[in-house]
Amino acid sequence: MYRILLPFLTYIAFVFESTVMQVVNPKQDWGILLIPHFSLVIIIFVASYLKPSYGIVYGLIFGLLTDLMYTDLIGIYMFSTALVAYITAVLSRFLFGNLFVTLVLTILGVAVLEFLVYGLNTLVGVANESVDLFLYNRLISTLILNGVFAILIYYPLVKFLRKMKDSIGEN
Amino acid sequence: MPQFFSNKRLIILLVSIIILVALIGFSMKDREELTWPEKFLKDTVGFTQSIFYKPANLVAGFFENIGEMKNMYHENKLLKAKLDEYAQMAVDVKRLNKENKDLRKQLGIQGDLSDYKVRQATVIGRSPDKWNKFIFIDKGSNAGVQPKMAVRTTEGFIGKVVKVGAFYSTVQLISDNDRTNRVSAIVQGNKRVFGTIEGYDDKKRRLLLKKIPIEAKVKKGQKVVTSGLGEVFPSGLLIGEVTDVKPDEYGLTKTAYVKPAADLYDLDHVMILDRTAQKLDENVLNEKGEE
Repeated sequence: MYRILLPFLTYIAFVFESTVMQVVNPKQDWGILLIPHFSLVIIIFVASYLKPSYGIVYGLIFGLLTDLMYTDLIGIYMFSTALVAYITAVLSRFLFGNLFVTLVLTILGVAVLEFLVYGLNTLVGVANESVDLFLYNRLISTLILNGVFAILIYYPLVKFLRKMKDSIGEN
Repeated sequence: MPQFFSNKRLIILLVSIIILVALIGFSMKDREELTWPEKFLKDTVGFTQSIFYKPANLVAGFFENIGEMKNMYHENKLLKAKLDEYAQMAVDVKRLNKENKDLRKQLGIQGDLSDYKVRQATVIGRSPDKWNKFIFIDKGSNAGVQPKMAVRTTEGFIGKVVKVGAFYSTVQLISDNDRTNRVSAIVQGNKRVFGTIEGYDDKKRRLLLKKIPIEAKVKKGQKVVTSGLGEVFPSGLLIGEVTDVKPDEYGLTKTAYVKPAADLYDLDHVMILDRTAQKLDENVLNEKGEE
């Protein structure tokens, strides 16, 4: 059952990014952008609490889905999300898993993804924003939003992932 | 402490970077039709999006309505005044339309670049990263939607259809900075001035109307409409209003900043326009070339 429920949860988070979060988005006059990366946050949790290989595979699949659905170019999110999942998996091997550490990992992961996507999009010519505009209007608010989301889902999701790990270990 | 990247991992990273570049190259070329797995994914994701978007929109709309109640009295007064004007204008438009039709019949002109058929659609989502400015709508090829059709709201032109599934499709907004996203436009005035809409200034929130001849006179407040000369969109769709004009970086042409007529951030219902004017027949073109 866990094997179906976890992809389903991630998929719901993925759809949430484009629908609910777009409705409750702040008005454009405020000048800040809140970019939800909820599926990435769940993937970071999976990579650090379940199994690194699971995290990387989820990163590849949902990155590809993001590319196909939400963008024009295939590959940017697929590469970046899988790389973030790998970095998280490596770092979480040395760190004790608690709320604070996970929050730091999440913020780091989202920041790495945002920088990678910004850099690659600038190379291709899709993005033409200056770095200071990117930092102040986009990155800080995005990190706060995804950090809050990570805190909200921390207890239920970690409980769920630990149970899932036990059930996988038994088989 | 073990190495962060072992040799094997380093090779995997390099190979994946090569694959990344290959994939970007593959997807950068112009693809009109989606492959069938993409279509299937588009419809599945579109279905889930429509489940989530509508209730969320209803709840958000409820709170918005409460906020709007404060301005209601003032707005009502204004609207009543506008309504009187409207009645007179409706009569005029009807008369002019009839006159136009009669004159056209006398001259024997059929069709016009500004003719189009309209399909209604509802927005079910938006691209979450703001680099790509896509919206998702709930009409697909089963309802007759095809790539490259123009999309507008009641206020003005907003973009074109790019990806089409069976039941859902994707619209690229006019503010997307993709280099293939260009619209041939006219600045209305005594003399028509031609240019192309190329990209968007995120800081000023203005569309960029480039390639205006340097000697052309463009003033603040002039309206910008589609020209219909690109063989894709109908002509005469309102894009926006000029707010500022500057010479471009080389001083050979001018760039105008255009304030979009439609609110590109708050879209609910859109209209998909099917241009009815015929395109040039390719066979005719080829025959002429051979002679």
